[in-house]
Amino acid sequence: MPLPTLTYPVLAAVSAVLLPFVGFLLQALMGKRSQNGAIALITIALSLLAAGYTFAQVWGNEPIHVQWRWFTIGQQVFYVGLLLDNVSVLMLLLVAFVALPVHAYSVAYMKGDSGIHRYWTYLSLFCSAMLGLVVADNLLLMYVCWELVGFASYLLIGFWFTRDAAAAANKKAFIVNRIGDIGFLIGFAILYSFLGTLDLNTLFGQEGFFATASGAEASGIIAHPKIPAGWLTTAGLAFFLGAMAKSAQFPLHVWLPAAMEGPTSVSSLIHAATMVAAGVFLLARIFPLFDDTALLVIATTGAVTAFVAAYFALTQYDIKKILAYSTISQLGFMMVGIGIGMYQLALFYLVTHAFFKCLLFLGAGAIIHELQHLNDKHQLGIDPQDIRHMGGLRKYMPITFVTMLIASLALAGFPLTAGYLSKDALLIHAFEWAALQNDASVAIPYVLAVASILTSFYILRLLAKVFLGSPAIGVMTSARPHEASAWMLVPMLVLAACSLFPLFTTSPLNYGQAWLLQKILPMAALPPLPLLHVLVPLLTTMATVAMTLLVWQWYVKQKYPLKAGGLFFRLSQQQGYVDVFYDRIVAAAVLRCSNVLFWVDKHIIDGAVNGLAALGRILAAIAGWVDQRLVDGFVRLVGKLAWGLGNVLRRSQTGRLQDYMASVFFIILVILLYHLIVQA
Amino acid sequence: MITLTHFLVVGACIFAIGLYAVIARRNAILVLVGIELMINAAILNLVAFGRYDSTRYGGQAFALFAIVLAAAGVAVALAIILNVYKHYKTINPEDINKLRD
Repeated sequence: MPLPTLTYPVLAAVSAVLLPFVGFLLQALMGKRSQNGAIALITIALSLLAAGYTFAQVWGNEPIHVQWRWFTIGQQVFYVGLLLDNVSVLMLLLVAFVALPVHAYSVAYMKGDSGIHRYWTYLSLFCSAMLGLVVADNLLLMYVCWELVGFASYLLIGFWFTRDAAAAANKKAFIVNRIGDIGFLIGFAILYSFLGTLDLNTLFGQEGFFATASGAEASGIIAHPKIPAGWLTTAGLAFFLGAMAKSAQFPLHVWLPAAMEGPTSVSSLIHAATMVAAGVFLLARIFPLFDDTALLVIATTGAVTAFVAAYFALTQYDIKKILAYSTISQLGFMMVGIGIGMYQLALFYLVTHAFFKCLLFLGAGAIIHELQHLNDKHQLGIDPQDIRHMGGLRKYMPITFVTMLIASLALAGFPLTAGYLSKDALLIHAFEWAALQNDASVAIPYVLAVASILTSFYILRLLAKVFLGSPAIGVMTSARPHEASAWMLVPMLVLAACSLFPLFTTSPLNYGQAWLLQKILPMAALPPLPLLHVLVPLLTTMATVAMTLLVWQWYVKQKYPLKAGGLFFRLSQQQGYVDVFYDRIVAAAVLRCSNVLFWVDKHIIDGAVNGLAALGRILAAIAGWVDQRLVDGFVRLVGKLAWGLGNVLRRSQTGRLQDYMASVFFIILVILLYHLIVQA
Repeated sequence: MITLTHFLVVGACIFAIGLYAVIARRNAILVLVGIELMINAAILNLVAFGRYDSTRYGGQAFALFAIVLAAAGVAVALAIILNVYKHYKTINPEDINKLRD
C-alpha cells in the first residue's frame, strides 16, 4: 500500500499529537533535571499552534482521512491513521487550548513540589494520549489512547502517592475505569466479529455500515443486515459502559469525587477536556451505532446522573467535591444530549463546559493554594479545601472572585454566558424530544430541569460560602490573603473570557446562531416547539435569579431555615451511600471471594502439589531401601560367595606334588564314575 | 585255569599299590618306585591282552617299548631327584612345596 500523501493539515495534526509525547519522552529521560516544566509548556504550546492550524484548515471542509498499515494478523490488516473531520479537529483544538492554561497555571501551582518532574512528565503523556484519542481513525487506536488516558490519569490522581487517600483514589479510578474498558473492548470486539473492520469511516461515515439519512432518523436506525439487532444493542450498551466509566456516569461515578486527591490543576484538566470528555466524545464518534434501546438507556442514565450528582453536590463541604459532582451532573446532561439523538448539542455543551469547569477548578485551586499558604504560615491546622473555613474572600481575591462568578453563572446557564447557550439548547431539545415519546421517558427533561435548578443552587452556595459573608477564620483579617501569581491569574482570565458568549455566537440569546453547532452537522429537525424556545430560557433564568435570592438569604444573611441532619440531608451528605455500598457489598464480596480462592490455592492446589511431593519421597525411600538391601545385597552376596569359594579353593594349591597327583586321581575317578553311572 | 580277569585284577592291585606309593610315601625314591609299579601294572595289562593278538604280538611289542621308556623315565627321574636333593637337602615330598604361585 503506497503511503498516503502527507498534506499540511495531516502533518500538523500528527505533530499536535506527537509533540507532547516527545515532551513526555524527553522529560522521562531527563528525570529530576526537568523541574520548571519548560518542555511541557513549550510542547503543549506548539501543539496548540499545530492544532489551531489543523482546525483552520479542516473546519467546515471535507474530512481528511489518512491511514498507514500497522500490522497484519493472518489475513487481517490493521491500520493506524488519522480521521480529521469537524468533530475531531474541534476536540483537538479544545484539548490543546484547555491544556495550555492548565500547564501555565501548574507552573505556579506546583512550584516547589518535590515530585514536580514526575508531574510534568505525566501531564505531557496525559495530553498526548487525549489528543491521540480524538484524531484516531479506528477503534483499536482509539482504545490504545483510551487506555493511555486512563493510565496517565491513574498516575496523576495518585501523584501524591504517599498519602493513603491519594493511593486509594487512584486505585479506585483505575478499577472503575477497567470496568468501562472491558465494555469498550467487548463493544469493538462485537463490531469486528460481525463487520470485520474497526475503521471509523467505514463503520460510521457518510457511506458507512451505519449510514443514516439525517440526524432526524438517527433514533430509527435500520440495523445493517450483517449484524443482528440483539448484538447491535449489546454493542451499543457495551460502548456505553465504557463511556459510563470514563465519563463518570451513575453508578460508576465514584472514582471522580475520589480523584480530587490529585493536584487541583490535574482535576481541572480531567474535568474539562481530557479524561471525562473521552466518554462523551466516544459516544458522539460512534453515534450511528446506537439503536432505540441503547439511546433510551443512555438518556435515562444521563438524566439520573444529572439529578443524583446535583443532589449530592448540595451538601458537600469540600470545594473540590462540589465541583466534581457538578461535573458528573453536567456529564449527565451531555449523555442526555446523546440519548435524545442530538450528539452535536452534547459536544457543544462539552466545549462550553470545558472552559468554565476548567476555570472553576483553577479558581478553586487558587483559593486552596492561598489557604494552604495561610495554614502553613499560621499553623491553623484546617483543611484548606473545606468551604466552612472560607468566606469573605471577595475582598482579598477580587479577580478570582470575578472569574469564578462568570464560570458559576455559565454553569448555572445564566444569559450572556456560553453555558446559557449550550445548556438551554440541550433542555429545549430534550423537551422537544419528550414531546414525541409516549412512555415514562417524557420525565427526562423535567428531571433535567430540576437538576439544572439544583445546579444553580449549589454553585451559588459555593460562591456565597467562599467569597461573601464574613471570614470564617479570625486570622484572615490580619493575615490578608492575596491574589495568586500572574502564572495562575492569566490562564483564569483567558478561560473566563472563553466562558462568555462572544466566542461562540454574536447573538447571545439564540443558540441556533452558534458557529459551532452550524458546522458539526446540520441541526436535526425535531419538530420545533417555538413556545419552548422562549419559555425554557426564561424559566431557567428566573430559577437562577430565585436561587440567587435564596442563597443570599440563607448563606449571606445567615438566615438558614433548615435543620441539618435530616434524612435527605444525610443522604446527600453521604453521597447516597454509594461508596459505602461499594465498600461493604461489592468490595467485601470480592475480598471474600478472593479469600476463598486463596484458601483453595493454598490448601487444595498447593496441598495437591505437596501431597505429590510427599508421595514421591515415600516412593523414593522404598526404592532406596530396595536398592540398598536387595540389589546391593545380591551383588555383595555374589562377591562374598566368590571370596569364600576362593578362600576354600586356594587351600588346594599346596605346592606339593603328591597333593596334585591325588587330586588328579580323584578328578579322573569322578569322571570315570560319572561315565559309569550315566552311560550304564 | 588262570583267565584274563585274574591278570586284570592283579594289574589293578599293583596299580593301586603304585598309586598309594605315589600319593602317600614320604620318600621321593619310593614315589618313583610307585610310578614304576603303575607302569608295570599297565604293561601287565598289555601282555595279558596280547594273547588276543597272537598273529602280530602287538601287546608284547608295546610292553617292550613301555619297559624301555620306563627305564629312560627312571633315569631322568633319578637325575631330577638328585638335583632336588642338592637343592633342598631332602627328598621328602612333604617338604618340597614350591610347586605353586
